[in-house]
Parts: sequence; C-alpha cells; structure tokens
Amino acid sequence: MLSDITLGQYFPGRSILHRLDPRVKMVLVLVAIVLIFTSFNFASMGLVVALVIAGMLLSGVPIKMYLKSMKAILFIVAFTSILNLFYGTGEPIFQWGFMQITMNGVYRCIFIAIRITALILCSSILTFTTSPTQLTDAMERLMKPLKLFRVPVHDIAMIMTIALRFVPTLLEETDKIMSAQKARGADMESGGLMQRIKALIPILIPLFVSAFRRAYDLAMAMECRCYNSRVTPTKMKQLHMASRDAVAIVVVLMVIAGVVVGDIFLPVLA
Amino acid sequence: MEFIKADNVRFAYEPAEGELPREVLHGVSLEIKKGEFVALLGHNGCGKSTMAKLFNGMLLPTEGKVTVDGMDTADEETIYEVRRRVGLVQQNPDNQLVASIVEEDVAFGPENLGIEPKEIRRRVDEALKAVDMYEYRENAPYKLSGGQKQRVAIAGIIAMEPDCIVLDEPTAMLDPRGRDEVMETIHKLNREKGITIILITHYMDEAVQAGRVIVMDEGNILTQGTPREVFSQVELLKQHHLDVPQATELAYRLRSYGCGIPDGILNEEECVGALFALIGKE
Repeated sequence: MLSDITLGQYFPGRSILHRLDPRVKMVLVLVAIVLIFTSFNFASMGLVVALVIAGMLLSGVPIKMYLKSMKAILFIVAFTSILNLFYGTGEPIFQWGFMQITMNGVYRCIFIAIRITALILCSSILTFTTSPTQLTDAMERLMKPLKLFRVPVHDIAMIMTIALRFVPTLLEETDKIMSAQKARGADMESGGLMQRIKALIPILIPLFVSAFRRAYDLAMAMECRCYNSRVTPTKMKQLHMASRDAVAIVVVLMVIAGVVVGDIFLPVLA
Repeated sequence: MEFIKADNVRFAYEPAEGELPREVLHGVSLEIKKGEFVALLGHNGCGKSTMAKLFNGMLLPTEGKVTVDGMDTADEETIYEVRRRVGLVQQNPDNQLVASIVEEDVAFGPENLGIEPKEIRRRVDEALKAVDMYEYRENAPYKLSGGQKQRVAIAGIIAMEPDCIVLDEPTAMLDPRGRDEVMETIHKLNREKGITIILITHYMDEAVQAGRVIVMDEGNILTQGTPREVFSQVELLKQHHLDVPQATELAYRLRSYGCGIPDGILNEEECVGALFALIGKE
C-alpha cells in the first residue's frame, strides 16, 4: 500500500533531456523559471512557453504524466488567477458593486495562470528526466563554491543520498508496523481527527526506534568502508559536458535575449 | 605467518550510568593466518560480535592488543589502512547499503579511499562479478532479495581490495536460499581470490565448512581446531549448551547406546556412509 509511492517522479528514458548533464539541466530550469516571472507581454511569454513545450516534447515523457502533475495545483491556478482578475488598475470594463474588472486585470489573470502552469511544467521536466541520485550529485557540484564559506557541502550531499536511500526501506517498515498493530487490534480507520492522530503514536514510536537502530548500523558500516567526512572522496561517475549541453545552453540564451528584447520594446501588459 | 593477531584481549563496553562495567572478553588470544577460512562459533552474548569489531578497529581493546599485519588497531595513523585490509559485513543487509543504486553503493568504499574514477569503475565491475550481481548493477537495492543485498554488501567490501573479510552472522536474517547464495560466495572468494575469511555464526552446518573452528563461550575461547577435532568433543560442547551438527549429534547418541559408529562424523553423507557400513557388518 504505502510502498506504491514511487520515489520522486523520475521517468527512466534515453531522450536528449535525460542525457543532458544534470548540472546544466538544473541551472537551465532555474533560468527558465526566472524568465517565466520576468516576461511581461505576450510575445516574451510566448517565447518562454514555447521553450517549456519544446522541453516537454523532447523529454519523451508522455504528456499524460505532465497533465497528472498539473492536477494537484489546478485549484491554486484557478484561485490566484481569478483573484488577480479584480486587482487590475485603469478603466473598468465591467463593474458590479465594489468589484470591477479592468483590461489590466484580465491580462493579469491570464499571465498568472500561464506563469504557475509553466512553473510546474518546467520543474516537472527536471524531475521527470533526472534521477534523484543525479539531482543530489548535481546539487553537490553546484554548491561547491559554498565550501569557501565553510558550508559542509559533501556532508549535505551525503545526508540527501542516505535520506533518498532509506525512503523505501522506512516505508516498507511503516507498512509492516501498521499491519502488526492492526493484528493487535489497533483501529486506524475510524474515529475523529484527534482519535486518528492518536492512533498514529503506536506506529511512530516503533518506527523511530528502528530508524535510530538503522542509523547506528549504517554509521558503523560507513566507517568500516573508510568513510571520513574530513576528506573529500573521489567519484566513480564523473560528470562530463557534451555538445548537446552546449546546444541547450545556446537555445536558452537565445530565449533570454528574446525575452529581454520583448520586455524592452513591447508594452508591459502585466 | 599470522595476519591478524589478538594478544590477551580484554574488552568492556562503556557502562550505563550507575552501573559497573561488565567485561565481555576476558583475555582472548588468537591468530589468523593469511588465506584461512575460520569460523567463530558461540552463543548470543559470548563476545563473538565484539571480537568482529575488534578485528578492524571499530572497537579497541580495554587491555591487550590487536594487530593486523603488524599494525596496531589502536594506532590512529594506520586505522584507515586496517579498515581497508579487514572489511566487516554485518548481519542486516538493509542497514549497510549507503546509495540508492547498486553500483554506486559498491563504489562508496573506493571513493572514500580517493581512488581514480577509472580504477573505481574497474573494481566495482570486478567486485560485482565476483559476487554474481553484475546484471543488477543499475538496480535499486530495496528491490533485491535479502541474499542479493548481502552479496552487494560483500561486493562493497571487495571493491576496497581487502586481505580479509569478517562476516558477522551474515546469513542470520536470510531465507535458506539466500543463505546458500551467501555461503557459496564466501567460499568462492576464499578459494579463488585467497581472501581470508572470518565467519561469525551460530549455524553449525556453516561452521563445519570452515578450515578451522574457534568456539567461544562467556568471553573466552573454549576450544579450537579443525571442524572434526572440535565437533568430536561433543560432551564439552554440550556442557556449555552448544549444539553440534545434526549428523554428529545422531552418531553421538547412537554411540552412547552402544552402537559401533565411529567418532568425528560431520555431515549427513559421512553419517549415511557410517550407518551403511555398520548395517553391512551385522
């Protein structure tokens, strides 16, 4: 039951986006997100949206998966965009009591809907095409400069790696403990909110106890394998940038240029 | 020449507040030679797991000395070399895998040693092939069976190219099939790569397969020798509430009823042979 939850949303494949250097992918997605929030007219926004759609198509992940990831935030999109509808400035085109809708409000409404949707799709592209291990790896390398400020980058990456590794193990364990408690007559499906929260205690306590025991064992195993947080280890899998990474960077640079030009020379709509 | 040497080792765990320290090892001396296959046998709480952690300096003796190839395990300068040379595999395979992909987990040890990426790749492939898990190199550990996970854990140690592997009840949490897989792997490593094996176990049939058996009881060495020498001392072992292999037990009981069955039977095959010989005589 609990173990049905897939780890992250990684969708294994061999598309060009899957094969991009994860560092490049991560930075480009961040850039795209910034672009989404700095396009102020339809021309600029259209350019960014085209980039996101191109990314979705190139990822080789079924569009159905993207729609699924949208489902959870549909309400937020609707809510914020309708709210924005009433906050426009300028001449009202529709008035009812104290509420008024202006042309500016309509633009705001459309832009906010596009922005949130594009934001989610953009991050979905990253998580669909990059495995959790690649993500942590990319993060470790991107954060490397922070070492100058004594940020323990390697330790943070190790923590993320271990957390990812133990998610399925602990889920399985939770499942087991729940069954064990049910077999002893625990009731977890009925009663009010407070009762249900209380019913979680006999699951959480054994789970914590076992997690600590696992942590102790793991620490021992890591030390046995010469782990030493003071020394930066080497890596088996080196990240290499290839020509496809350069192409991706150039494409995004072109979109940046387009958005800047659009923002400067065309009227600001929202 | 001895590879690991324990000299009059005493050990007590740090006591809880208000308690007196309880000594778990009372002056154990033993030697392990290069290439040997030693089984360390004993009850729960006899000090055999403590012994395992003393071999690679995870624990340090309160008194006495443990040396690995002449290096004192208490010497901080050589501790990483000691741990590289003497790998430790624990009981629960789930709690000793670090990464969420098999090959990355095997690479963990060599990465910590600061080895070149290309060389790590070579060692990881070789280690995974040695434990017969190469096809699973890109899998997630949680999807593997217990025996497979334990073999990955062993590969993680082999990738550090150790001289000796200490296995602390590696089969205790596995099903019979997983046990067979792991035992087969250990024997293969000992035979083909000449890796010294110290197998800590309470399964008698696993101990019988070793070259030498050391029996521990209450923090002391009770007896040691070849499996045949050790398991022919049925009375001594019984006095200390230790089991003997089933076949040995059967032969012992038959003999105590006046049956003329010979001493030192270790496995079913020998037992069947001896019984047939007996029936044929009468």
